[in-house]
Amino acid sequence: MIRKLTPDPSCSIGGIKMADQGAADPGNNNNNKPEASEGTIIKVTVKTPKDKEEIAIAEDASVTQFKEEISRRFKAKQDQLVLIFAGKILKDGDSLSQHGIKDGLTVHLVIKTAHKAGDGGSTSASSSTPTQAGNTSTSSPGTNSSSTAGSTGTAASPTQTPNILTGFGDLSGLAGLGMGSANFMELQQQMQRQLMSNPEMLSQIMENPLVQNMMSNPDLMRQMIMANPQMQQLMERNPEISHMLNNPELMRQTMELARNPAMMQEMMRNQDRALSNLESIPGGYNALRRMYTDIQEPMFSAAREQFGNNPFSALGGNSESGAQPSRTENREPLPNPWGPPNSSNPSESGGAPTGSTSTTGGTNPSVSNPLGINPGSLGNGMFNSPGMQSLMQQISENPQLMQNMLSAPYMRSMMQSLSQNPELASQVLMNNPLFAGNPQLQDQFRSQLPIFLQQMQNPEALSVMTNPRAMQALMQIQQGLQTLQTEAPGLMPGWGHANREPSLLTKQCRNKRCPATADATDAPDVCWRRRRNCRRNWRRNCRRNCRRNWRRNWRNWRNWRRSWRRKCNGTQKHDQILHLSHLSKKEQKVQ
Amino acid sequence: MDKNATQYNVQLYVYDLSRGMARSLSPIMLGKQLDGIWHTAIVAYGDEFFFGGEGISSCSPGGTMLGPPDTVVELGETEVSEEIFMDYLSALGESAYRGDRYRLFEHNCNTFTNEVAQFMTGRSIPSYITDLPSEVLSTPFGQILRPILDSIHIAPPGGNVINGARNM
Repeated sequence: MIRKLTPDPSCSIGGIKMADQGAADPGNNNNNKPEASEGTIIKVTVKTPKDKEEIAIAEDASVTQFKEEISRRFKAKQDQLVLIFAGKILKDGDSLSQHGIKDGLTVHLVIKTAHKAGDGGSTSASSSTPTQAGNTSTSSPGTNSSSTAGSTGTAASPTQTPNILTGFGDLSGLAGLGMGSANFMELQQQMQRQLMSNPEMLSQIMENPLVQNMMSNPDLMRQMIMANPQMQQLMERNPEISHMLNNPELMRQTMELARNPAMMQEMMRNQDRALSNLESIPGGYNALRRMYTDIQEPMFSAAREQFGNNPFSALGGNSESGAQPSRTENREPLPNPWGPPNSSNPSESGGAPTGSTSTTGGTNPSVSNPLGINPGSLGNGMFNSPGMQSLMQQISENPQLMQNMLSAPYMRSMMQSLSQNPELASQVLMNNPLFAGNPQLQDQFRSQLPIFLQQMQNPEALSVMTNPRAMQALMQIQQGLQTLQTEAPGLMPGWGHANREPSLLTKQCRNKRCPATADATDAPDVCWRRRRNCRRNWRRNCRRNCRRNWRRNWRNWRNWRRSWRRKCNGTQKHDQILHLSHLSKKEQKVQ
Repeated sequence: MDKNATQYNVQLYVYDLSRGMARSLSPIMLGKQLDGIWHTAIVAYGDEFFFGGEGISSCSPGGTMLGPPDTVVELGETEVSEEIFMDYLSALGESAYRGDRYRLFEHNCNTFTNEVAQFMTGRSIPSYITDLPSEVLSTPFGQILRPILDSIHIAPPGGNVINGARNM
């Protein structure tokens, strides 16, 4: 009998069957097949990688019959057909019911091609051979340092390009830094080697329009390259690279050079050799470092212009000791570019013979303080919201979190798109439940948003954010500032408002042995040295101050409650007393 | 059933692309709890296979930049041999799973993994993975970010692309 009338032209049964049946209805895809094997007809979907078809067959048919049908439909030979159901290959001797193939289920089909090379074997072989080839690449004679500088940039960029292609951007470098697992480093090196030894792959990558787009944007390339920690190390050693980065024409040339992988690898090696030589020269390292800070200065003044409209700068005081020459011996170790911003920033500027100019606004965004945030200003604005605070706490508690977030693949591109489209970003954030009930916060955030996003883009900022100790330090400072705010609000009038005037007082640092002056906006008017030294005590002091305030508040509350009780004593007129509390006693009695 | 055929073990490697951030931040950002942004790959025959912005790629298990997986789900055993499987993958890579067919929400790595899992073992991957795009899109945040996210192709580096045209 006819079970369904749904016409399915793709499912036309072969002529033989129709002839068998006699009552052929072209629209009917469900024939009665009074074959030798009777039974209900089931519709089984046969799915190949490329398409799928429904095939009607008897329930207790054998696999052979099924394959016959399929070979007709798919125009393939029966020996080429491989049927898979529930992970099992259907052999010719079986029957469909044996495998549990019922109506409506899907059976997978693979049509074997004539080419039967060991697919799995060749795949793994091809992945290992480029690695070996990369290992044994020969060296060619080196060249002068400027071209090594140029090609070092190119050496870094192919490492970048496969990452760029895959949407991870330069964060793979950061992730490598954060994870530090040998596995990853190996992997990256492997990839690099593969890339170098496989010019076809490289040219493929170069031809990718995405990559070309990226490369035609010199600013983007520069940022990305700078974000790579290896690159940063190189830059530290060889400041000519930064010159190169600033010259877009030169960058494009070096991109062209990137197509020549063997050359590039050789340049890289020469570079390393030259630099290790340089390092071994006494005083050479210092010279390089000084050179670096020389070059660092213009780069960061360029970066600082970005932060020129930073509302943070209006809020906070000036840089902690940006312009202060260190009068005591600088015992601070050389700045760790990825270290916490507080401790290393002043020594960084102290150590550099070309003193960095301090801005009246935000802190000079040096290597160690890439966000350019004056910690003094952090107690304000959006960072004070409870949501943000809990976020920061979470971040500091879980140091991996920030690291991992930034190594998330889409984060980078999302940040970029958000920064390019501030309306979208603000829209996004307005819908954010975090800001839902707090319009003031929304406004604040909205105004600060473009700057925030720009900062997010800054690769130095990212490296700070991935540093758990940095985040912890920022948290601590923020807490301290809050304490100060509650305890001595009069000290910094207008601390919490956007349009505060910078305090003009400068005091001597409270630490007796410290000759520096602390700006009054420094909280709690000690200089960076003192603060650094007593960071542990700092935390304790904060807590203690909190407790003291609490006790005072409690006393106030208790006294008020006492007086209230006295007033209401015996009477039932609580509400009346409350409402009329603005009147004097006599007037209250009158009421 | 015929037990004489060799059985190959099939596993599902689940990675959290957000590395824990989603678990903490999703209630704040999206309003609903998402335990992670899941990227999955099939591991069989000693290799890992996944679908990304470049197409179907393979590498050694746990060999992408993501490192070791967060979760490993045993999908079961399959009789499909490696040869057949590679044929299947090549065919897939030419049709529905070319590199340009990658769509972050509708046709992503998890779609591929689901299909391959069904092919190999007849079972599909856990639903919390496949439901992720719809979960995200059901939030206003997801809706707004959709145009941005659509253009993102996730392709963890470390794999070699299986090109259907070249019989590898």
